[in-house]
Amino acid sequence: MAAAVQIETVNITINDIEIAVPKGELIVEAVKRLGLEIPIFCYHPRMKPVGMCRMCIVEVGFKQPDGTVRKMPKPQAACTLPASEGMAVYTDTEMVHRDRKGVLEFLLINHPLDCPICDRGGECPLQNNTLFYGPSTSRYVELKRHAPKAFPLSKYVTLDLERCIQCGRCVRFTEEISGDSELAFRFRGANMQPSTFELRDFESKFSGNVIEICPVGALTSAKYRFRARPWDLETKPAVCTVCSNGCNVWFDYRVGKMVRINGRTNEGVNEEWTCDKGKFGHEFYNSEDRLLTPLVREGDQLVPTDWARVYSDVIRAFANGGDKVAALGGAANSNEDVFMLNRLMTGIFGTKNLDHRFERNLVTGVGEKLGVSEVQSTIASLEDAPSMLVFGTSLADELPIVFLRVRKAWFKNGAKVVVAHHAPTDADSFAEVILRYKEGTEAAVASGLLSLLVSAGKAQVPAATADAIKPFTPEHVEQLSGVPAEKLRVAAELLEGAPIITTRSMYNQASGVDALEALAGLAMVTNGKFNCYSLQANAEGATLLGTKEGMHTHQILNAAAAGELKALWLVNVDPFALYPDRELVQQALENVEFLAVQGTVASEAMHYASVVLPQCAPAEMDGTYTNVERRVQRMRPVLKPKGSTKPGWNIFSEIAVRLRPATPFFNPGEVMAEIAKENPAFEGATYDKLPAEGFVIR
Amino acid sequence: MSELTQIGSINERPRIPTRDEVELNFSDKAITELEALKTHYPELKACILPTLWIAQREYGGFLSGEAIAEVAYRLQRSYAEVEGVATFYSMYNTAHKPGKHKIELCTCLSCHLCGTYRLRDFLKEKLGIGHGETTADGLFTVEEVECLDACDRAPVIQVGDTYHGPVDEGYLSKLIDDLRANPESTVVKMADEMVKVHIRASER
Repeated sequence: MAAAVQIETVNITINDIEIAVPKGELIVEAVKRLGLEIPIFCYHPRMKPVGMCRMCIVEVGFKQPDGTVRKMPKPQAACTLPASEGMAVYTDTEMVHRDRKGVLEFLLINHPLDCPICDRGGECPLQNNTLFYGPSTSRYVELKRHAPKAFPLSKYVTLDLERCIQCGRCVRFTEEISGDSELAFRFRGANMQPSTFELRDFESKFSGNVIEICPVGALTSAKYRFRARPWDLETKPAVCTVCSNGCNVWFDYRVGKMVRINGRTNEGVNEEWTCDKGKFGHEFYNSEDRLLTPLVREGDQLVPTDWARVYSDVIRAFANGGDKVAALGGAANSNEDVFMLNRLMTGIFGTKNLDHRFERNLVTGVGEKLGVSEVQSTIASLEDAPSMLVFGTSLADELPIVFLRVRKAWFKNGAKVVVAHHAPTDADSFAEVILRYKEGTEAAVASGLLSLLVSAGKAQVPAATADAIKPFTPEHVEQLSGVPAEKLRVAAELLEGAPIITTRSMYNQASGVDALEALAGLAMVTNGKFNCYSLQANAEGATLLGTKEGMHTHQILNAAAAGELKALWLVNVDPFALYPDRELVQQALENVEFLAVQGTVASEAMHYASVVLPQCAPAEMDGTYTNVERRVQRMRPVLKPKGSTKPGWNIFSEIAVRLRPATPFFNPGEVMAEIAKENPAFEGATYDKLPAEGFVIR
Repeated sequence: MSELTQIGSINERPRIPTRDEVELNFSDKAITELEALKTHYPELKACILPTLWIAQREYGGFLSGEAIAEVAYRLQRSYAEVEGVATFYSMYNTAHKPGKHKIELCTCLSCHLCGTYRLRDFLKEKLGIGHGETTADGLFTVEEVECLDACDRAPVIQVGDTYHGPVDEGYLSKLIDDLRANPESTVVKMADEMVKVHIRASER
């Protein structure tokens, strides 16, 4: 454990109670130490204070030498007031009460008070603060300000200008957190409005967050608008499975239907933010295309049937299949599903042909080859890195929440970020150095960086490697990739010991594997951290729990296309969407004798299916997911399984028990206990030990 | 507590417009002035106001979306931020293109008592336009404004960078004839004068 940092404290009194708080802590935060609350609108703990709404005013004085307190003549905004020695704060005086009433009366002058039809009604800070601190009547009888209702800022965010209290939270979010600076206040006074430049589309990858941080109903979700009253919703904690970040979310549902997704705080993962892909990407729960019953092929039709029929078909095709059967996918399934699938394929069907990867280059993973882990940094640790390298990925698209962390490291701590990619990315706006290379020259750039560090004496590599990278002088790299030699030198200066962030999409690049090797080497020899983050909800889990011995995806598809495979199982995966070579997928699915398609939503592969096994969606079952930083997080069932769908682990387990009678697992908790027994890395992830914020596998 | 709450984070640079998104129309003179301006302040954010004046001059007295976009690009600020600044100040023309000459009538107390609204009615009759309107020939815009800080000359009006007052119907009538004969736009001239205030003589 790191040595405790000495924090300078100051002695202040809050409502005459003496307390020591860190010097410079804002009063609005300091009062929370005593369990007090100061009403706020514009203040947000994760953003810089602006003191715009005046809701948080308190009386402040200073202790005089004679022991009396001399109060300042006017109240102060607690959100912009840092604690200093001898400060006396009063949050509960007559004057403060009167002033709060005044502020709220002003805020409500132009507020339409259309709470009965407002999405925010019931969970609205303006309602709450008015209830506790506001006047019960208004003296304002004149005409209220009127503005267009329901202006669509983007396809996700609808602006109701009349309700806006001009706190600037949304504007600050886009400037400070997401960095797209799409919003600003236009005009002034009563006409002031948060909006985009020329009212163009609000193009942000994180626009959904402004809906949540808006303290009134001014920014509402276009998808959720008028769909429910908050008090009619049931809410349960969940984990987002749209990408591999594993963001913690609140899953709001009503009569068995997903209604909306909100961010849930997990300081280690997403803080409290969500990306638009996640926040608005759960519509498939209510999709018409959900698979609800098992289907079996009869002629050119898939007809509903029962599980027994599907199981027997699968068993007939797969049992004793040996090398003639294979399964693809599983990276979107829970750890328990993946484990049971693996057991079924290897233990019962006797095949090791099982892969969840769909990248172009499926050689031995770089980490395995060099004997290093491909995930060395936690998301939270990126925040404290003085410099880092983002290589070959548009991070805001592939891993939005990691992007926010990298940006926060720059915004808050001034981290120097080197961004290397063949196209412009969102991270360019704060990059210290941008290495824009020609597509396909990743390896040259990465080797160039390594070579620079080695020749500067900052790193030692084995002689063979040294010879291999010697030709990659900055000038040679410039010729190959178009990255100016000078920039490469500046970048290399910054990268000693820095975390390197790249994603598995690098395996899609022709020279990606060589680049990854150079990057892993770079991290290894300079004591940096190498991270090749995966991109699907449980790809890390599938990697840790899967087998690496049988055929990989290319071989499986090629064998299927050549008619050498008897049966193929697609586990919750659409190869048409993931695999680069569409034609091969088509041939493979056409030529395999028996195709089992397992999934939650209808996909293109279903047209070729012999049987379809409907699997329930992630929030409809219990299970754990291993995210990008190998954090195992549990998602408890939120909804009931739709139709006759079953959890993946249950399907595999039921088939296994038909072939080899044994006591099956009754719940995923038992499966996880078994996983932990076989794979000690998961020891801390058993259901009785797994903490709420997840368990990071190291 | 979160350290983020501390005032004054290190970095504040927002997303900046890219070159291919904007059309650049600044003249060489404007670019020289802008380069000089950039040396006056520690950061580019501080240049937004004077650069908007340059843009108002370069774009014929009107800060259109293109003009704001160019300022944002040249100062590496976000579009929305620059538009927010421009729309905050009433001396930047952002709502619509003004006429060649903008007649601003002071409507505050002294001028009001001394007959501003008589002048307004006179203008309505003579030019056929009221507050915020522009004549069809694009020559005149009339605006009622708040205090011009020249009560000793009430009723006072401002045309371009010149105050006129005290003004009566006869004076106004003659002024309009003079302006009609004036080929130069007083709105653009005003912007130019504002730029000159910001640029040192040695930098022109």
